[in-house]
Amino acid sequence: MSMNPIRLVPGSGMVRGMALTLRRFFEPKATIRYPEVRADIPPKFRGRLQLLYDEYGTLKCETCFQCAQACPIECIDMGGMDTKGRFHVHWGAAETYGERREESALRRSGRTVPDPAYDHFEGVDVGAVDDILEGFDHDPAHLLAILEATQAHYGYLPVGALKRISQVTGTWYAQIYGTASFYGHLRFEPPALLEQAAAMAARRPAEQAFLAGLGASLSGGGGDDA
Amino acid sequence: MTAVSRAWGRLTLPGRIVFTLVPLLAVLGAGLVALIVLFGGTAADLILANLGFVRFLAAATIILVITIPIAFLNIYLEMKVIALMNLRVGPDRVGPWGSLLSVVHGLKVLIKEDFTPTAADPIVFTWAPVVTYAAAVMTLLVLPFAPGLYGQDFNIGLLYFFAVGGMGVVGLLMGGWSSFNKYSLLGGLRSAAQIVSYEIPLTLSVVGLLILAGTMSLNQIVQQQSGWFTDWFVFRQPLGFVIFFIAATAEANRTPFDLTEADSEIVAGFATEYSGMRFGFFFFAEYVNVFILSALAAVLFLGGWNAPFPFPALSIPLYPGSLGIPLLFLIALVPIIGTLALAAPFYLARSSMRWWVALIIGFVLFNVVAGGLTFAWAYVSFDWVAGLVWFMAKTFGFVFVFVWMRGTLPRVRIDQLMGFAWKWLLPAALLNLFVTAAAVVIVGS
Amino acid sequence: MTTTSHPGRHASADDPRVLLDDEIGVFGTVPPYPPRTEREAEFYTLGDGQMFLNMGPQHPSTHGVLRIVLKLDGEKVVDLDPVLGYLHRGVEKLCENADYHQVISQVDPLEYVSSLFCEWSPVMAFEKLLDVDVPRRAEYIRVLSGELNRIASHALFMGWFALDLGGLTPILWSFIERDEIVEMLAALTGQRMLFNYFRIGGVNGDLNHDFMSRLGDWMSRATGQIEANLTLLNQNEIFVRRARGLGVVDTETALAMCMTGPNLRATGSPFDVRRAHPYSIYPELDFDIPTRTEGDSLARYLLRMEEIKQSLRIIDQCLHQMPDGPIMAKLPRLLRPRPGRAYAAIEGPRGQYATYAISDGTDQPFRMRIHDPSFVHLQSVGLLMRGDLIADCMAIMASLDPVMGGVDK
Repeated sequence: MSMNPIRLVPGSGMVRGMALTLRRFFEPKATIRYPEVRADIPPKFRGRLQLLYDEYGTLKCETCFQCAQACPIECIDMGGMDTKGRFHVHWGAAETYGERREESALRRSGRTVPDPAYDHFEGVDVGAVDDILEGFDHDPAHLLAILEATQAHYGYLPVGALKRISQVTGTWYAQIYGTASFYGHLRFEPPALLEQAAAMAARRPAEQAFLAGLGASLSGGGGDDA
Repeated sequence: MTAVSRAWGRLTLPGRIVFTLVPLLAVLGAGLVALIVLFGGTAADLILANLGFVRFLAAATIILVITIPIAFLNIYLEMKVIALMNLRVGPDRVGPWGSLLSVVHGLKVLIKEDFTPTAADPIVFTWAPVVTYAAAVMTLLVLPFAPGLYGQDFNIGLLYFFAVGGMGVVGLLMGGWSSFNKYSLLGGLRSAAQIVSYEIPLTLSVVGLLILAGTMSLNQIVQQQSGWFTDWFVFRQPLGFVIFFIAATAEANRTPFDLTEADSEIVAGFATEYSGMRFGFFFFAEYVNVFILSALAAVLFLGGWNAPFPFPALSIPLYPGSLGIPLLFLIALVPIIGTLALAAPFYLARSSMRWWVALIIGFVLFNVVAGGLTFAWAYVSFDWVAGLVWFMAKTFGFVFVFVWMRGTLPRVRIDQLMGFAWKWLLPAALLNLFVTAAAVVIVGS
Repeated sequence: MTTTSHPGRHASADDPRVLLDDEIGVFGTVPPYPPRTEREAEFYTLGDGQMFLNMGPQHPSTHGVLRIVLKLDGEKVVDLDPVLGYLHRGVEKLCENADYHQVISQVDPLEYVSSLFCEWSPVMAFEKLLDVDVPRRAEYIRVLSGELNRIASHALFMGWFALDLGGLTPILWSFIERDEIVEMLAALTGQRMLFNYFRIGGVNGDLNHDFMSRLGDWMSRATGQIEANLTLLNQNEIFVRRARGLGVVDTETALAMCMTGPNLRATGSPFDVRRAHPYSIYPELDFDIPTRTEGDSLARYLLRMEEIKQSLRIIDQCLHQMPDGPIMAKLPRLLRPRPGRAYAAIEGPRGQYATYAISDGTDQPFRMRIHDPSFVHLQSVGLLMRGDLIADCMAIMASLDPVMGGVDK
């Protein structure tokens, strides 16, 4: 600080501050008038949770659940019908979807999630799953082994059994589904059904329509409400 | 009967209102005319006989009502000026440039829940804002706004002002005491300590001025400052003015002396537990106080309603009544001709302009010009218009300075505040008084 | 006399609305359990004419959710008891249940005004665990963005400090300053507040045109703008008189209280992790460690303002010396460091941020300890505030510049 004699006058600093505020009074303002003017969002902005569309206008999401698995705070959830008519798929933070909010709360409190989309996956006897889990001490760390044992028992991985594993171990369903879909030797459909479908497809091209009808009847009319 | 009800059923809501109101107004108007015809003379005699009393009643009512727009204006100024100094835009949504936002604020506090804490003293709690507000309003009664435009011309006007104005602190103390909240208590006690301390330098700072003026009537003090602006007391009492201004800042609880509601320390001080219109009263009283102290500073030191320099006496020999019948033609034709005349250049200069746009521009311009001319005529013809203009300009100049200080300065600490009052302001005020008295004695002898 | 009877309380046994003095000592402040320690018993016994004031967790200026129980004699603080934990989220535990990449997003919101520094020390500790060499360009980008974040944090400090002293304007001016920095960091990192930018072995994304143009634009007027903002406070008599001699601490006490960063340097000790235990590319850069000797709030304030200028110097050098090359080291996607321990400390805007991580060979840290300067500085509050007025409590706290997100973790 230089020894300016004016600075020795009491109150001169306040006067200078007031001069500054008066100057700012006339300066251009920094406010962004929000509804009319939007602040520009940088291209790298990561704040939006949304799915990307490809150039044909279809969703790029393949419901592989890898994002849900990687999410450190488990805020990504999915539901709706996936590409094979297997699952009820939509996407986004679980809490942002009204119809999922209650389920999320239930799941977090460790209770059963009533979801009509799951209904036609019911009917699996989950007693065997409980025995398997008992053998592995209900420890999700042995998930792969649990899944293999489950498949060994049922021949495939029924959704009801996966749901049971999720309920009992407290593991995020996405994680179980992701693990199961990651390994090639784990499958979601009974092998007999798969073989039958393949054989029918090989027999006559005309049966493609029948196959499609079969697929539609298997999917059970669960609508895609994404 | 059914026809009437069917017709009524077909009416829209505005139609129903019109059909109800017009007969009602007709009946009432006829009744009023009858009353005036029957008892008009007696009533006029009664009013004339008690003119002073009626005048006082009218003044008190007007003053009570006028505090509301004053408070609204001050609140808007505060929001807008501080925002602009903060490099923000501030209110800009409600009304032109957001000027109606303070009105919306007023409505908001009206419809909010009026909440009383469980263990508060309900009577004291309820009356505290009333006391503060009443004190603020009552001081307005002696302020001379313009020649002939004042509530009451006391010969002890200044004394009355300080006496009644000092009552405001009682309300703050009551509010702080009764709220059952320690922040409120601290705020109330702070305000008591602060305002009582600053009353003394505030009052002493004007005693020198009183010696010079020889009167405590605010009207006469203003009249003594007429003439050039060098006659204003600020040039004869500069130290007194500075002390008065600082003490007034503290009196009005303004930054840097806003310790009673220091939000970063004691939440909202005495007003912590208040909500709804009770809080609104505190809020209004605060801003009315700012206006009042600014007005007092303008009256005492800046010549009140006096213009800074005497205008050459102009008298416009314009008596509209003397024109007779041509006046009617003038009223009918001048707006049309003026609008067309002002619209023509725009229409001719820019070929792309539509005729109706040019007409709108011309109409607006004509209104501006006519309004300006009328104002100028009123300013020259009526001295109360001129006085009111200057008074308001000076007062709101002070209000702006108060707001400006709030936008700039941080808050002082309570011990610094008290130390400043007793160690610096009070001796300075006494010195000012002594020097003034000595000068008067020496010059006078 | 053990309690104050409050004015306006109708002490009536018939009135169920009102708790009597005998029932609850002082409204809400006496803990609803018998005192557990001698200190607690002593603190919750009121002397003659004293009263408790419960400041926070809901208070306009406790910088979040700090609660301080003040024992007052009039306006004077006789004794105080800070109560923490209103923002506790168990971040360390969350980190132990996340894999090494996910930890970065867990530690981000610790000190939300300087999140890059919260990421920096865990990332450095993990790099030590994994024995990774970070590319030089990544180091430069880290220092560049870190110093920008330091300026944003210090600029915001100026506003906070002034706000707690009653000034309305500086906070908004400093938010303008911060907003420009945050916008350019958003262009670089993709987020405005919780950047989540540093990665183990580098950074997430190279410098881009948007960031560089914003930075250049801002750098050309930053010095003048900050200087202009400072004239509002630095010469203001009211501000200087309030801040001078407020919360004085000497070097011995500061060291005993584990103070680091600007709060320690304001007492005269030139300890700065960037120089004392050099990391990253700081040894190659030319900058000063400003110190002051007064140790009061004004010194802490002025020191931070001086650090802004030093940070501007560092940014300038970074921009001039920025090397070419990769921004990420080659690493497998799933990180499994060998079992071991690592400690990494960095110099943040508030002091020393440090992380102590233990790996047991799995893909999640076995234990993570986060040393946060805000928490450490808050322990000296009891020492600094005692004997001051209520008005100064918040000013002293603001001068220490804690962020409650980091305190409660």
